[in-house]
Amino acid sequence: MRKRTFQNAILIGCGAILLALWTIPIAWAVLTSLKDEKEVLAYPPTVIFEATLKNFHAVLFGPTNIVANLTSSVIIALAATALTIVIAVPAAYAFARLRLRAKRPLGFYVLATQLVPPIGLIIPYFLILNRIGWMDSYKGLVLVYMTFSLPFAIWLLVSYFEDIPREMEEAALLDRASRWQAFWHVVLPQVRGAIAVTVIFVFLNAWNEFLFAVVLGGANVKPVTVSMYNYINTEQTQWAQLAAAALIAMLPVIVLGLLAQKHIVSGLTAGAVKGVGRR
Amino acid sequence: MVAPGVLALAATTTFPLLYLVWQSLQNINLAMPGMDRYVGLENYVRMWDDARFWAALGFTIVYAASTVLLQLVLGLGMALLILRIPRAQWAFRIAAILPIVIAPVVAGLFWRSLMLTPDFGVVDFASKALGLGSHNWLGDPALARVSVIAIHTWQWTPFVFLYMLAALAALPSELYEAARIDRASAWRRFVHITLPLIRPAIVVVVILRMTVALSAFAAIYAATGGGPGTATEILNLYAYRVSFAELSLGYGASAAVVLLAMTMAVAAVLFGLRRSS
Amino acid sequence: MKIVKSGSRSSPSRRKFLKAGVAVAGAPWISRFAHAQGAADLGAYQSAKINWRLAEGQTVNVAVIPASYFDNLIAVTPEFEALTGIKVRYDKVPPGQIRQKVVLDMSSKTANISTHAGDPMYIPLYAANKWADELEPYLNDSKLTDKSWFRHEDIFEAWRKADMVSGKTYAIPYNGEMTIQTYRKDLYDAKGLKPAETLDDIVKNAKALHDPANRMWGFCLRGMPGAGQNMYIYPSILLGFGGKWFDSGGRIKVNSPEALAALEWYVNTNNTYAPQAAQNWNWPDIADAFAQGTIGCYIDGHSAVSVIANPERSKVMGKIGFARWPRGPKGQCASSIWNWAMPINSALPEKARQATWLFIQWAASEETQARTSYRFKGPGKRFDLNRLSMWKQPEYLKTMESAGHNFVPASIDSLTRDTNVDWRPRVPQWPAIGETMAKIIQATLVGQMKPRQALDDAQAQVERIMKGG
Repeated sequence: MRKRTFQNAILIGCGAILLALWTIPIAWAVLTSLKDEKEVLAYPPTVIFEATLKNFHAVLFGPTNIVANLTSSVIIALAATALTIVIAVPAAYAFARLRLRAKRPLGFYVLATQLVPPIGLIIPYFLILNRIGWMDSYKGLVLVYMTFSLPFAIWLLVSYFEDIPREMEEAALLDRASRWQAFWHVVLPQVRGAIAVTVIFVFLNAWNEFLFAVVLGGANVKPVTVSMYNYINTEQTQWAQLAAAALIAMLPVIVLGLLAQKHIVSGLTAGAVKGVGRR
Repeated sequence: MVAPGVLALAATTTFPLLYLVWQSLQNINLAMPGMDRYVGLENYVRMWDDARFWAALGFTIVYAASTVLLQLVLGLGMALLILRIPRAQWAFRIAAILPIVIAPVVAGLFWRSLMLTPDFGVVDFASKALGLGSHNWLGDPALARVSVIAIHTWQWTPFVFLYMLAALAALPSELYEAARIDRASAWRRFVHITLPLIRPAIVVVVILRMTVALSAFAAIYAATGGGPGTATEILNLYAYRVSFAELSLGYGASAAVVLLAMTMAVAAVLFGLRRSS
Repeated sequence: MKIVKSGSRSSPSRRKFLKAGVAVAGAPWISRFAHAQGAADLGAYQSAKINWRLAEGQTVNVAVIPASYFDNLIAVTPEFEALTGIKVRYDKVPPGQIRQKVVLDMSSKTANISTHAGDPMYIPLYAANKWADELEPYLNDSKLTDKSWFRHEDIFEAWRKADMVSGKTYAIPYNGEMTIQTYRKDLYDAKGLKPAETLDDIVKNAKALHDPANRMWGFCLRGMPGAGQNMYIYPSILLGFGGKWFDSGGRIKVNSPEALAALEWYVNTNNTYAPQAAQNWNWPDIADAFAQGTIGCYIDGHSAVSVIANPERSKVMGKIGFARWPRGPKGQCASSIWNWAMPINSALPEKARQATWLFIQWAASEETQARTSYRFKGPGKRFDLNRLSMWKQPEYLKTMESAGHNFVPASIDSLTRDTNVDWRPRVPQWPAIGETMAKIIQATLVGQMKPRQALDDAQAQVERIMKGG
């Protein structure tokens, strides 16, 4: 018994160290956002100081605030996510149910094409968007983001769909349900977790994206990643405000993550062990 | 249902790919427009002799391999650990979300200026306090490489942790009961029962993390810019510099093509592993 | 915060709700223009004998970097819109990306960006590719420019020259910077030191103050690699040692004996007297460190004043002194000629180009320079004006009093006497050359390479670049 408690103590100790490693930098960012600019660079670094909310105030209400940028980001991320899910889910389902020899290589190709390094994509996308007049517009940037998120979403979802035995739908069809009804009422609930996971990743990628946002956005479309970078302006870096902005920018994703957490765990559980290996 | 979707997808992703390859066969230099011309495989030939390219390629492999391996070991280890302390799970799960959701560019910046600056940063302060002395974390070439790997690992291990946690939690407990009755040790239980069962999950997470590691850009760009010198210049960054800083778009495109080929090769190998399970 | 929206003759509660709604939704735009000069006095502009409204209805897209001196311009832009009927939209691009973004736009002739904050070292590139219009036709056209009002020649000559190629102007400076020596006057006075007049003095002063155990480093220069980063300082040292960029045959030569001496001085001094972190530092990092009181002396852009003389950030207020770049062993002294200059994108249609010209003329005019500086109704008044005459005006001098000892004279001296337009090689291939040099300088700084070998390496690369590889 004593060995057990000793073992547990070691485990807890290791766990605590690891937890610390992950949270201390974040905690430091929180501390920084509450400091005066002068305090931020004090050395030795201070943990006790006079906290102030003025950085948050400046970031949200000041002359260079990020409210418009947050709105921009929300629109882009929501649109990209919604459109991706709406297209990817049926597509993944259909793809999973196809009985094609070419399925695997085609699936691989679809995934592989999104491995093109960003540098190779900037110029072609820039030219395309200009050609169709969608430069510096929401539809343009959302379209570009979807070219990343669609293959990823489809790839992620297909394996979960394949997991669901065809017998389930056959049963529904025998009950004279249409294919669509079978899909909606029988199949979809099973993959709720996977969809939740996909939503998180697609949203996160769209939300945190920087390079394309800078090049393809402009006066109209300015997501928060670009505006955060602008706290590193040409004369100085406003560390405290940058920290405050970064924390605020993290909030929507964290909220989304917490909300979908239940689904994520069940979702990952279902697919992780069995289904994914099937292909 | 799927045909139009996949077609549109293939179209939007194939065009840039073809354009990229076409660009890599040209000499396009924005500084000297009069010299733009088709050069066939000359860019690739030049790359063969380019020491900086090989250095970038080498470091890309080292970077991707080490960070993915570290993420796997640490993430899996943590997941196994946390399963033993179920009461603390919620704290870890919440803490794990945080590094993942920071924009990589912000992470790189923070680590560079607030954490790792010798004599000024928090990490440096801590290392001095622990008696490890101050080091030039981002200025010394070898240390800089370690630092950027560490930053990437810091940001993404929680992802592996969460994924593995879910995978492990789904394992049926009867298997463990049976093994315990047979008085198998914890290690043997792990190697012979757990590992094979979660192998598919491991492969998936390795694919996901590997593709991200190979195309990492924002964090390294913000932390070191590829420096000191060219020590932390992964291929992605090298291609960016050549294209945009040196304005040699054709050569940059060829570097990007090589990176793409490499990524696809790695992905193909990993996919093969999946199938054989 | 003034609420501009009005006109709802509705019930008080509804008005309150609307007000709240507008406050939240309109906050970014309204507060940004809260500093605008209200229904401004446009008389000063209308005295110019041109028709400001000749391009009415056009839209001008301006790409700028995030900086307080552009924020001020953005704040007074409603006056321009009222004056001309032209709409102005701003796109704030991080400094690391703006060059790429505008080059991409101009090279593909997509005309998204009408004008931008341009890097003068890129002007030869613009000219070679015909991406920017020559501005003489605009300056000389009496319908577009009132020469006696605009007084182009009043703008700092060094900056005007920096924006010219083969005698033709391609951009107009909006603001700029000079590189000056910044030191801790209190510490110097305590030890009886004088600001350095030669590079040897710098080393002497640094040695006297250097005390890393007590977190005081004697001297610091930028180490961060980049054409606009460490390659902003190295050329001045090179010229100080009597070095040149071109050899007698007009080819670029970077591995001359003077270059070697300069590089060695740079590396040795920084490695001995600067914090180790400086190998990766850019000017804001040095400014921050100086503001925390850990640097004895450094040489960099004067715009750091907004950090080191800012009571909210600086622990060394009132302890700062300024002086010119010290002379090198050959008696030469060369400061940078940095300015942000606005060109006209030649891919625009004609009316749009005229509208863009009106914007540029307005931004660079004396009146606007004043309104964004000492007459600015907000904190953060600009101090980097583009006209020499304005630097001598009492109102300006009063605003700069708190910057530090000798700021204005040192800056003016630096700008009028120490600048050398060819301080960096003004060739279209500059971006690539700058990057190449920047990388080997930093590699030498961290000990990855030896100076001799680094320069020879760089020379090989530069030759390849010049051949068009």
